Amino acid sequence: MEIKCYIQASAAISPQQSFEGSYEPQLLPLEARNLLRAQEPGYAGFIPPNSLRRMSRLLKMGLTTALQCLRNANAPVPGAIITGTGRGSLQDTEKFLHDIRTYEETALNPTPFIQSTYNSVNGLIALQQQCTDYNNTFVHRGFSFEHALLDSLLQIQEGAESVLTGGFDEMTLEHFFIKSRIGYWKSALTQPAEMLVSGTPGAIAGEGATFFLIGTAPGAVELMGMQMSYKPDAAGVSETLAQFLAQHGVKEEEIDLLVSGRNGDVRFDHFYDIAEKALTPATAKIHFKQFCGEYDTAGAFGMWTATQELLSGRHKTALIYNHFYGEQHTFILLQRH
Amino acid sequence: MAERVLITGMGMVSAIGNNVEENFRSLRAQRSGLGYAQYVDTIHAGKLPVGEVKCSSEELAEMAGLTDATGFTRTTLLGLVAMQEALFSAGIKDPRDTPAAFINASTVGGMCDTEKIYFDILDPEKEGTFLQLIDTLDCADCTQRIADRAGLTAYVTTISTACSSSANALMYGARLIRAGLVERAVCGGTEALTRFTINGFNSLKNIDKRHCMPFDKDRNGLNLGEGAAYLVLESESFAQRRKARSMAELSGWCNTNEAFHPTSPSPEGDGAFEAMRKALAMSGRTVADVQYINVHGTATLNNDVSEGRALERLFGDNVPSFSSTKPFTGHTLAAAGAIEAIYSVLSINRQMIWPNLNFTERMEELRISPETRLLEESPVKNVVSNSFGFGGNNASLVISKYGN
Repeated sequence: MEIKCYIQASAAISPQQSFEGSYEPQLLPLEARNLLRAQEPGYAGFIPPNSLRRMSRLLKMGLTTALQCLRNANAPVPGAIITGTGRGSLQDTEKFLHDIRTYEETALNPTPFIQSTYNSVNGLIALQQQCTDYNNTFVHRGFSFEHALLDSLLQIQEGAESVLTGGFDEMTLEHFFIKSRIGYWKSALTQPAEMLVSGTPGAIAGEGATFFLIGTAPGAVELMGMQMSYKPDAAGVSETLAQFLAQHGVKEEEIDLLVSGRNGDVRFDHFYDIAEKALTPATAKIHFKQFCGEYDTAGAFGMWTATQELLSGRHKTALIYNHFYGEQHTFILLQRH
Repeated sequence: MAERVLITGMGMVSAIGNNVEENFRSLRAQRSGLGYAQYVDTIHAGKLPVGEVKCSSEELAEMAGLTDATGFTRTTLLGLVAMQEALFSAGIKDPRDTPAAFINASTVGGMCDTEKIYFDILDPEKEGTFLQLIDTLDCADCTQRIADRAGLTAYVTTISTACSSSANALMYGARLIRAGLVERAVCGGTEALTRFTINGFNSLKNIDKRHCMPFDKDRNGLNLGEGAAYLVLESESFAQRRKARSMAELSGWCNTNEAFHPTSPSPEGDGAFEAMRKALAMSGRTVADVQYINVHGTATLNNDVSEGRALERLFGDNVPSFSSTKPFTGHTLAAAGAIEAIYSVLSINRQMIWPNLNFTERMEELRISPETRLLEESPVKNVVSNSFGFGGNNASLVISKYGN
């Protein structure tokens, strides 16, 4: 990239205490099911009460995280707003499907339909911050946040000074059940502390909203680049990683932190072995899905985790590697300056 | 100097035809595809006209060359039919020869099929092949099935910005090309009629029980439609190297957000105005260079006032011929931007301007009225195509005669 991009601020709502204060990830205990629920902050300081009453959960989470990110950056109006969400507001989609059945397609309340639209969070951020520039929403599993990030990098190369980039997804109990029917989750209750060694198929479900303000003004963490790969085999992952590092002039031994999407799903964890073996044994590893669970836009929380680590001063160069059920693979490089 | 982005192939299916040529013939014959639904299952089927594709899902599967269509939703099948034609028309024999992007657009993914079995999925007692449709609940499923079959895998993603989705897909693909990440991007969208969306727009009181009447004083809402359309975009140098036929140039684009209201445009059309103005500026053309505007023209009360005011503000006393083609196809949501981009290319290549059907009386709020006649032998070099959506998402494309 000709123009360097920096992470100027970030914010995250996740199953962890990540929204404010210092971040200390915990291996949270699960009781009823393999689902890590997001810890929601008080929304009152972010959204006017009249709007708050009407808004569904994902809209509140997405909008509030975006606003917190802009507050952290002290930059109310970004040059563009680009997000990713795999599922959008599931609660609204489900409500409208149920309403159609219950009321037999008559006298329906349109609010859930409007809020189920995938770009509704983006529209709300633009409306609240009066941002009339470029606005886009990607809805493609593990390439939702990731294409939002690539689009943001392109926007900056094309002249935008800053872009608000985010990813958000929620998990409802209804959708948790639906996905359990096709093997998305581990069938036996598995604690995050044991998920990596569980030796079973499936993941622990999660949810969250994560935003970054990415811009050209020099900051502590540089976003050096990213590379996606669609349905690669093992050799493809290895090749893509080698090319990606070479392209950015980064040697394997320079990477002192690997933030990996390993989630203990025995069907797909072998891909993470490839990245781990490519790096030196001294490279520190963080498996971020122990803290946030698996969801379409979990990769955004991975990038947030790496950013926190670099800001702490513990590491200098971080490689993030994430894939979603073996299909959408992404590498991201961050470096502290 | 960034590379020019050329359109070298097109494929589509809509209520007025199963390929580009059939769509052209219907436009020229002024034959609308609106009518009562045959395939989508809703109590509104006999009351609200829609622009339904005139094929069953089984027929679409056959057209797409599928022997076993298990797990393929109507959304995917429509997309496969359009994709097949787009690659063929671009003269691409093996898409795997060149790393290419597939940028798709969708508003509700496979909802057309999943809504029929949703409550079976929720019932733990029920088992069956319908469980194979669970993954089609999202927007990525159709995209990946089309990408896998077509062999377009270097970049694969889906955009959902309501009614401007496929205009944004075209923009994003063009930008990937200009950034040098790929030399070819196939972009567009696919949308099947669903009970979900019909009830959604009906609950917003946005659907007319008559055939829609864009820019008419008596208009009272839209008709929904379905279809799919893809355009093959290539960098100029790549297209020249492989001696591709250039159908037109995608010369300008702009995406803005109106930041006005979640579902309504501003009365003065600020977002539409900015999107058109900046797209033209990018294309290096002036307002005087535009011969035709394929407007968003949904025939909702708000859209047509807002878009009409934006046209008057941007073009002043010399607003070029404009028309909405939604009375032909219905509003195909995520597919609309790409379908109308193809109609814009046809306008340039066939030197015709498409009529705005069902118009009788000018709106009180506007000085302008749409073109109601089919104009033939009408030189068209630059077309502006508009797509505006929920969430304030506005997109305008400028499509130009290549070598213009």
